[in-house]
Amino acid sequence: MLSQRVIGRALARPAFGPSGLPRVLPSARWNRTFASAAEEQDLVIIGGGVAGQEGMKVTCIEKRGTLGGTCLNVGCIPSKSLLNNSHLYHQILHDSKHRGIEVGDVKLNLKQLMKAKDESVNGLTKGVEFLLKKNGVEYIKGTGSFQDEHTIKVELNDGGETSVVGKHILIATGSEATPFPGLEIDEKRVITSTGAIALEEVPKKLTVIGGGIIGLEMASVWSRLGSDVTVVEFLDQIGGPGMDLEIAKQAQKILKKQGIKFKTSTKVVSGDKSGEQVKLEVDSAKGGKPETLEADVVLVAIGRRPYTGGLGLENIGLELDERGRVIIDSEYRTKLPHIRCVGDVTFGPMLAHKAEEEAVAVVEYIKKGYGHVNYGCIPSVMYTSPEVAWVGQSEQDLQKAGIKYRVGTFPFSANSRAKTNLDTEGMVKMLADPETDRLLGVHIIGANAGEMIAEGTLALEYGASSEDIARTCHAHPTLAEAFKEAAMATHGKAIHF
Amino acid sequence: MFASKVLRQAAQLAERTPSIRFIGKRSVPSSVDHTPHPHPASPTGSLPQGFTSSHASFSSYRDHAQQFGPLRKTITSSSGGVGGLAGSDLGPVAPPKGYYFDRNDLPARFHRAPLTAAEIEAIETGGAAAFA
Repeated sequence: MLSQRVIGRALARPAFGPSGLPRVLPSARWNRTFASAAEEQDLVIIGGGVAGQEGMKVTCIEKRGTLGGTCLNVGCIPSKSLLNNSHLYHQILHDSKHRGIEVGDVKLNLKQLMKAKDESVNGLTKGVEFLLKKNGVEYIKGTGSFQDEHTIKVELNDGGETSVVGKHILIATGSEATPFPGLEIDEKRVITSTGAIALEEVPKKLTVIGGGIIGLEMASVWSRLGSDVTVVEFLDQIGGPGMDLEIAKQAQKILKKQGIKFKTSTKVVSGDKSGEQVKLEVDSAKGGKPETLEADVVLVAIGRRPYTGGLGLENIGLELDERGRVIIDSEYRTKLPHIRCVGDVTFGPMLAHKAEEEAVAVVEYIKKGYGHVNYGCIPSVMYTSPEVAWVGQSEQDLQKAGIKYRVGTFPFSANSRAKTNLDTEGMVKMLADPETDRLLGVHIIGANAGEMIAEGTLALEYGASSEDIARTCHAHPTLAEAFKEAAMATHGKAIHF
Repeated sequence: MFASKVLRQAAQLAERTPSIRFIGKRSVPSSVDHTPHPHPASPTGSLPQGFTSSHASFSSYRDHAQQFGPLRKTITSSSGGVGGLAGSDLGPVAPPKGYYFDRNDLPARFHRAPLTAAEIEAIETGGAAAFA
């Protein structure tokens, strides 16, 4: 690592003192001081969601005060804690008697539920901080903004200012919830996902704008805890882009059975929170009767947008596209090649694991000149009950692209482990090329789908055929056998269905 | 009928070549094209104009080049950085007549060696302290 030493030079002083006597003159040449300014780092990361290793001298700037980004602090991790514990609560209440377990008075302690969530989050954020320390990464708590192409000015959270000079700079500032126009977010009555994981009481009525993954996960949590939940979705299917239509329909049916109400193909026209209840004016997207929905709390879950506020991109002339994403090339370089960008703030799906893969690839590009992320093979998971997970292309993707495919499915109702678990909802669906039998996509709805999709992702990454999966021995009795059987159904015939 | 299908499949099994094959340890390709290409997830599948021409001239190359840290031609006298002033602008090396440089303004190697307490005592006692 080569350090940059800046030699300061004082301004020339007047030759005579006030007395008019000649004085000892430190000329400009001799008055050079050797004050060292910010030492140059190999890599400066703006955003504390990712970290570098590979023997580089790294600084990570994060303004939140805790590391881990949206995912760890107010996203995937806290929501999984609430999903898991609310599922347990719901199961104890409604799904224990017929299993032979009779419980007495079951009460919800929301404060403790939130405390358990906070403990998980704190443990993990501290874990990340420890990892940074262990790997010798300098961690600066503050808000970074570009002063010039190599210098980041940091306004420290504790007051004061510093600057960091980086040979390479990685923008990883993530995203923020997209607000609904005309409905001010207060995180109490009109909330985003951040407020949805920190409500102080269970709302009697909760309306969710947006039937994507975030909206449905939060709808599940509060529905299980006792809220009357209505999900309003503009499209005619839930689950957002990428979810296979057949799977999305099945998910909607199951969630409806659990008590969540759906209003698909419905547009929210306006919102008003001036009264005791938050009012939403909704209209059928296909032209129908306008309706007013009232709720104690409204969750705005219409998507997320890249976060570049205060980053000072204008100081270095970096361009954003029409959706506010930083424009990058295939090696994650911006127009200024030493500044790279990964994660939600640039192209691709807004997923923590995608950002992580990209960050690793960036470090590899810098150190080795070669990195790898397969954008055709990034899994998505919705952690509802049952979980929904998929990787690769959906039927509608293939139809749109005019690609021929073969489908194979296997229901969990025919799987022995699912039967013993009394948890038989869902299925595994596989799509493969009819000629080569190469796997094109895997879609799962069912218990543990989020874990099972790893097998599909590995198979897809390796370019496996459905026969390869079908001829691989799977342990009995496991839910994973359904995966094997779906593969058998894709290239031939399933044995147990 | 199903049994015969199974037998047929069993016969095929002997000749079957799985799609998944061990391709050996991964290595960095010997030649990698580093010219900017559109990101695979880019919705437009293209790069904006000017994205690839940042080094159209030597001057623009120098703006982005690295040598013991970033080379920046934007250094000016107002920034006061290294190279911000031409050597001739700093004035003559020798002090003007009637002015003297303070030794303490010179680098440390030109400073007077500091006296130790023992040295001072030796001087004050005419050298006797050295033998006390």
